[in-house]
Amino acid sequence: MSYAYLFKYIIIGDTGVGKSCLLLQFTDKRFQPVHDLTIGVEFGARMITIDGKQIKLQIWDTAGQEAFRSITRSYYRGAAGALLVYDITRRETFNHLTTWLEDARQHSNSNMVIMLIGNKSDLESRREVKKEEGEAFAREHGLVFMETSAKTAANVEEAFINTAREIYEKIQEGVFDINNEANGIKIGPQHSPTNPSLPGTGGQGGSQGGGCC
Amino acid sequence: METSDSECFESADEEIYAENENKKSKKVAGSPPSKEIPCETEHISYLKTEETKNERTNILDSNLQVDEDKPTKIGLSNTNEPEVITDNNTSNIQEEDEVNMWDEDEDWEPVETKTEIKPSESPPLTINRIWGWDLSAMLNAATVGVTAVTTQVSQGLSNVLETGIGAPDPAELARRTTQEEHTHDAEITEPSTNSSTNLFGFGNLVSGVTQITKLVETTGNKVILGGLDTLETIGKKTMQVLQEGDPGLKKKRALLKIEGEKPVLSHILREAKEKAELENRLLEEQHFARKANYESLFDDHQGLVHLEALEMLSKQCSIKLERLIESQSGRELVELQETMNQIVELCELVDDDDELEDASEIKEKLDTAVSEMVINISYDKVLTTRKEAEQWLDNLHLGVCSELELHEQAIDTLAQLTALAVERYHKIGELLLIKEHRSTADEADSLVQVTTILTALIGNMATKFSNKLSEKLSDSTHKDHINTLITNVYFESANSTSYLKNAFQLLIPVLQVGAI
Ligand SMILES: Nc1nc2c(ncn2[C@@H]2O[C@H](COP(=O)(O)OP(=O)(O)O)[C@@H](O)[C@H]2O)c(=O)[nH]1
Ligand SMILES: [Mg+2]
Repeated sequence: MSYAYLFKYIIIGDTGVGKSCLLLQFTDKRFQPVHDLTIGVEFGARMITIDGKQIKLQIWDTAGQEAFRSITRSYYRGAAGALLVYDITRRETFNHLTTWLEDARQHSNSNMVIMLIGNKSDLESRREVKKEEGEAFAREHGLVFMETSAKTAANVEEAFINTAREIYEKIQEGVFDINNEANGIKIGPQHSPTNPSLPGTGGQGGSQGGGCC
Repeated sequence: METSDSECFESADEEIYAENENKKSKKVAGSPPSKEIPCETEHISYLKTEETKNERTNILDSNLQVDEDKPTKIGLSNTNEPEVITDNNTSNIQEEDEVNMWDEDEDWEPVETKTEIKPSESPPLTINRIWGWDLSAMLNAATVGVTAVTTQVSQGLSNVLETGIGAPDPAELARRTTQEEHTHDAEITEPSTNSSTNLFGFGNLVSGVTQITKLVETTGNKVILGGLDTLETIGKKTMQVLQEGDPGLKKKRALLKIEGEKPVLSHILREAKEKAELENRLLEEQHFARKANYESLFDDHQGLVHLEALEMLSKQCSIKLERLIESQSGRELVELQETMNQIVELCELVDDDDELEDASEIKEKLDTAVSEMVINISYDKVLTTRKEAEQWLDNLHLGVCSELELHEQAIDTLAQLTALAVERYHKIGELLLIKEHRSTADEADSLVQVTTILTALIGNMATKFSNKLSEKLSDSTHKDHINTLITNVYFESANSTSYLKNAFQLLIPVLQVGAI
């Protein structure tokens, strides 16, 4: 699995907003309604293509619980992108955004691309936060905004990929110093741009078993 | 000894960030990962950061070239005076109020790692690097014992060895150290002038290790079989070289004590993996079979990213401890340091060659060991993976399974078991840090037991695979090839063990934070 770039993402937001579900939907294209509570941080990875380049997204899915706050803060460093998630059916998760944002801004690098995500858009009947409110918050704080559903997969690809595209553009503009790993970007092992021959198999895995015989 | 870590854990953030910003520049010193094994006989606390800067500059100068265009500063973690200093090069990616501790050190030369090695014209530089690496290995040896050297040598880089990238002239090296004649020159590939190497700035570390592993290889494949003689031979000569102009190794010792100079294992591994992958792709293009690459598989099983996260946790705890130590003086300081050292001592692993019993007994042992930590953690995945591999071997029809396939399965199993184990260490670190009532001694004891069991488990697995490979020897025409594969399995098993030990070492600051 060779790649031109590796971007480190971090997913943050209150517990229960659907962070782990979003990750699973993105990496495995499935929804798992009952999810173990995330402890500390869990990981996912997937290969995407932008501008003909293979980019590996390495995603750090953090625990939203207060108890883990100080721990997960130590993982912000070196993230190129962040998905800041709230639940459109629970207003308090929206109210906490400011705290999350402060946290993220304080503990990560200033060029980190932050995508604001209002999740569970499939639950329209239980909506507590209007889409316009999300948009306004994003505008005010200079974030990209999107409503998603980890359940129906609506906008999930877009959320992850648009973030990557922003990062990629920043690289092109020279905003990101790609030589500095603290920016959450790593350059792949000497990639030959002429021959992106390897299939972009999604995510990790490395299946064992089967056997050779 | 009881405290909740949440508050103590808060404050270390700025430093760790500033440090990450400078990761690239930090790696140049070429000290090995297990330098952080803090079991020093002289009880020099590895937490201390006060060292003479000029001396270190000298050493660095001998290893590096200065590139005026890209001033990357290297410095000490100097947390006393958190001033706002923004470097020209980093200002655009750093918040104004960020404390960049690396920039505070005026004594530091701007240094840029130059790792483009053209083998034909720069062997001296390479030799320097080798010493640069081995230097640290030796210093560890002096303080930690020979086990550490084994760890160094086998530290996950064997596949670099196998793929043979970046080895300008091991022959020369070997001659210098062992006077042994050998014929491996032909195998040596030229180092590819690898852009990623430069970018990440730790190419020299890796190539240094490549040299050593090559050397070890050429001197008789003894590492795995406990060939400490080989290592001692390397060590003796290296020691002489090192001592030149630095009697008692004072300066180098000083250099190695500095936390900030510690190369991060996950990066070294990533680099090794990437090199191997590159090599693999080249091979593929030439229609060669893709080799089983330990580092790639370790990464595929998420070992690398967990290791990286564990390192971040560990670092943050270390910074927290450093701060505390700096704030103390007199008797309190002495007592604190004693406590810290005691914890380190509690974490010393004893070699025990206990045979592993059957699956249920292993599980029982692990469960008992783990229960002492009083956190909710299970080793079921590790045990399942082990069992599956065992079953796979039991059902194997040797006649139809090629030795390459068997080898591949062996390496994948080792990489997977190791990745799972590293993941557990990481998880343990997180769980300990949110634990209400810490009991450091029990935690340390538990981790010692767990580590011992896991290393035995992995060694045992490697033996099983090797035995199967040996069975193929009798009716095979290419015995040499099979023997190489067997050696490699043992080698990767040693690697696995050192990753586990390293992961355990990374937890020591987590334990220490629980004791303050
Ligand atoms: N209807 C609906 N439920 C969701 C969605 N995303 C997550 N959930 C549910 O929300 C709960 C919490 O999700 P989880 O991913 O564990 O949240 P996390 O704590 O942020 O990681 C789970 O019960 C999910 O089934 C969504 O998009 N739609
Ligand atoms: Mg979760």
